[in-house]
Amino acid sequence: MTEAIPKLSGVELSLWRGEDGRLWTQGESGPTAVRVVRCFPWSDPGCYVSLRDTDDDEVALVRDVSDLKPDSRRALAYSLLEAGFVLEIEAILSVEEEIEIRTFSVRTRQGVRKFQTMRDEWPRDLPGGGLLIRDVVGDLYMLRDPQDLDARSQKLLWAFLD
Amino acid sequence: MTAQAMATDQRIIERYTDQPARLPAALRQEIEARLGGGSVQLYALADLDAALQLSETWLAVGESRVAVCKTSGRTIVIRTFARAAVQLVRLEPGLTCNTLLVLGEPGEPALAHFRFTHRQRRAMENVHFLLEQALEGRGVERVDPDEVYADSVAGPVREAQALVAGNDMSVLFRLLSYLQPYRGKVLFGFFSAVVLTALALIPPYLTGILIDEVIQPVSDGAKTVAEVREFAWLAVGAIGLAYALRQLAAWARLRLMAILGEHVARDLRTELYAHLQRLSLSFFSRKKTGSLITRVTSDTDRLWDFLAFGFVDVSLAIIQLIGLAIVLTHLDMQLGLVMTIPVPFLCLWVYFHGKQMNTLFLRAWRKWSRVTDVVSDTIPGMKVVKAFNQEGRERERFNHRNHDVTDEFNRIHMVWTAFWPALMFAVRGMVVVVWVLALPRLLGDGETVNTLTSGTFVAFLLYMVMFIQPIDVIGQMARIMNRATSSAHRIFEVLDTEPQVVDSDEALRLEPIEGRVTFENVVFGYDGVRQVIKGISFDVKPGEMIGLVGPSGGGKTTVTNLIARFYDVTGGHISIDGVDLRHLDTGHTRQQLGMVLQDPYLFHGTVIENIRYGMPTATIDQVVEAANAANAHDFLCKLPNGYETQVGERGHTLSGGERQRISIARAILHDPRILILDEATSSVDTETEHKIQEALDRLCAGRTVFAIAHRLSTLRRADRIFVVEDGKLVESGTHPELIAIEGGVYRNLYELQLEMHAPKNEIETIRRG
Repeated sequence: MTEAIPKLSGVELSLWRGEDGRLWTQGESGPTAVRVVRCFPWSDPGCYVSLRDTDDDEVALVRDVSDLKPDSRRALAYSLLEAGFVLEIEAILSVEEEIEIRTFSVRTRQGVRKFQTMRDEWPRDLPGGGLLIRDVVGDLYMLRDPQDLDARSQKLLWAFLD
Repeated sequence: MTAQAMATDQRIIERYTDQPARLPAALRQEIEARLGGGSVQLYALADLDAALQLSETWLAVGESRVAVCKTSGRTIVIRTFARAAVQLVRLEPGLTCNTLLVLGEPGEPALAHFRFTHRQRRAMENVHFLLEQALEGRGVERVDPDEVYADSVAGPVREAQALVAGNDMSVLFRLLSYLQPYRGKVLFGFFSAVVLTALALIPPYLTGILIDEVIQPVSDGAKTVAEVREFAWLAVGAIGLAYALRQLAAWARLRLMAILGEHVARDLRTELYAHLQRLSLSFFSRKKTGSLITRVTSDTDRLWDFLAFGFVDVSLAIIQLIGLAIVLTHLDMQLGLVMTIPVPFLCLWVYFHGKQMNTLFLRAWRKWSRVTDVVSDTIPGMKVVKAFNQEGRERERFNHRNHDVTDEFNRIHMVWTAFWPALMFAVRGMVVVVWVLALPRLLGDGETVNTLTSGTFVAFLLYMVMFIQPIDVIGQMARIMNRATSSAHRIFEVLDTEPQVVDSDEALRLEPIEGRVTFENVVFGYDGVRQVIKGISFDVKPGEMIGLVGPSGGGKTTVTNLIARFYDVTGGHISIDGVDLRHLDTGHTRQQLGMVLQDPYLFHGTVIENIRYGMPTATIDQVVEAANAANAHDFLCKLPNGYETQVGERGHTLSGGERQRISIARAILHDPRILILDEATSSVDTETEHKIQEALDRLCAGRTVFAIAHRLSTLRRADRIFVVEDGKLVESGTHPELIAIEGGVYRNLYELQLEMHAPKNEIETIRRG
């Protein structure tokens, strides 16, 4: 299988954070600024990380972040965090049904937020457990474990949980 | 955009998000003071900080400087940098965290680094575009920054939600105004319904009188049968008459309101469909087809239900309950109050039961959608399922979800089957209380003797049964109203949308169009900020054939869309025969314009109906001639019903090449002066392509043609070729002229295609000429 992925990289890959705040690696024609895409953001976020250049071409594919040298791993850490960032719901404050949309008011780890989903758009079950809600603009809201929610939140979310 | 549209967007932001609807005025003032003169050109909000917490950082672009303003409570920190220092702007997408990096000199720290959720993305893209254009030495048309910001943040919610100015009540009144043309019938229907309700109160009342004035006195021996006979029959006759009149009123009301509801639904459908035909293409690209179809079909049907029955039923239920309360308290104050006081509580109980059912149904619908997902996935993909031998797994997947949804529906049945007997029990409980209070009075124990007659009590019992139905209707009033206003909102949203392409009152008609097409520094952007066409100019003579080539997304189709005036330019002019397109009668101009698209659209109907679509009066001779010219006649003759074969929905019973040739025949018959070919031969095999190309050659003769093609070989007849890249006309000329440009875009494309299709030695031969 690995032969089919020629850019698979691990220990030999060198990553560093540049002065401009971007993540850099050594490309074929010199240092290249890259952005990070997680291939399996939910089931295996630390594996198969694609590094893409400014033209969105893949420069390297990291099979496992832990294979990287410590310096590179440290440089990659924040980019990985940014790439995999979703808002994490801690409590549901209200759910209002409207004509074609549903408005959720939630408290997330990042702050209080109000967002809308289409009424026929349902939360998605994640492979490792938990739920993912996508709003009308494409922002993602993760609910790690619905059982951890307070009773009121669970009641408000009851129709959306299994 | 109008001021009203901006106000709507700002209201959406205030109502649906937690962020400001505009850059706060005080903050803007401070920023503008730091920008070194001039106003803010464009701004956006970054709602994530470096720690990926929700926060508020404004990015505002001025004439010569850029401001970054971070607010936290009352603390405001503003820093600025010169626009001239910006060397590179990078916008990178993420799952939820996007970044905009503004870079100066290579190796230097970034001038600014913003992180933001997708909600801010459109606004950030606008700023990104503005800065990038400046880097390329191009300006961007001046816009109102508040308007652009409001549009970009509110847009997704506005597009997802049917938003109509006004609250639910005003929408409801607007809906009821559609009854205006039928007001006579409405009044009569309403009158019938009132009569129906009033008549329902008569039989129990007369029954009571019969018992008290006829049966009881005769049983007691106080009166003889002869004495009461006439009165008794009169009362029975009156009861019979009341029932007969009641049914007559019921018949009148049902028939009148049902038919009237259909008329109103028809009027709404007619108005809606006619309005849809007027709307610009931009509206259809914003809205999902399914959602629009639902509005014309299910929503109008739902409104029929409301207008025919819901509206009257709810009004009458209220009248009936008030009537019952008056009659019962009039008959006996004590027992009347026992019956009427619990009614509001029962209505509330029904209301809360409705809310509980909504939640249960929501859960069931979610699970039902999982069942339909499996079915709609596997039925069209059955070949794949079988090829991979996955029938067993699919069966298991379906069964699991099927059981799951059955459990949910059973839960619903558990709830409602428990509720209604409980409600009935409560009503019966009231009856028992009435019995408890009435019995001593009926039997006469001491002081209360004779205060309640048997007749009054029986009338009471009959009236009590009548309480149940209106309680149910009133309990469901919120749901009925909500459904009606939802549908009305969705319909009025379409009706309130104004077409973006509008003809002036004095629009000109060119008869006939010669076919000269001129672009003068044309600029166009779908969202008003990002330009898709960036200053294109050309002049095409009548009868000239122009090949449009270039990379995908470069703007070729947009050029043709502008010629057809599906959109109006945002800058510059397009003229036909020297007259600005905006001064021409659009419908009349389009009559002289033809289009053959990559995926030809055929309507449900016969082949001949499709060929005649642009010219319904064409004779059979003309149709056959056009089909011959389009190389379609031969295959049409082989179809079971010839030209009268039904092509099925979207023509999917035919192959792509066959559909294409029918669409060419349609264009030939239409006989346009200007013809647009958009990838007309791209999705067919070589033999079919040859036939289509032949047909196109005949079609193009003597007309001005704009032909978009990726396969450059199909443009061999073109008089000139325009290379459109990134919204600009980068090269133009004949094939030999463009091939001669060393490193030119056209030459590169041409060589790339040759390498794909021809052996190397041939390429060298071609290169050497």
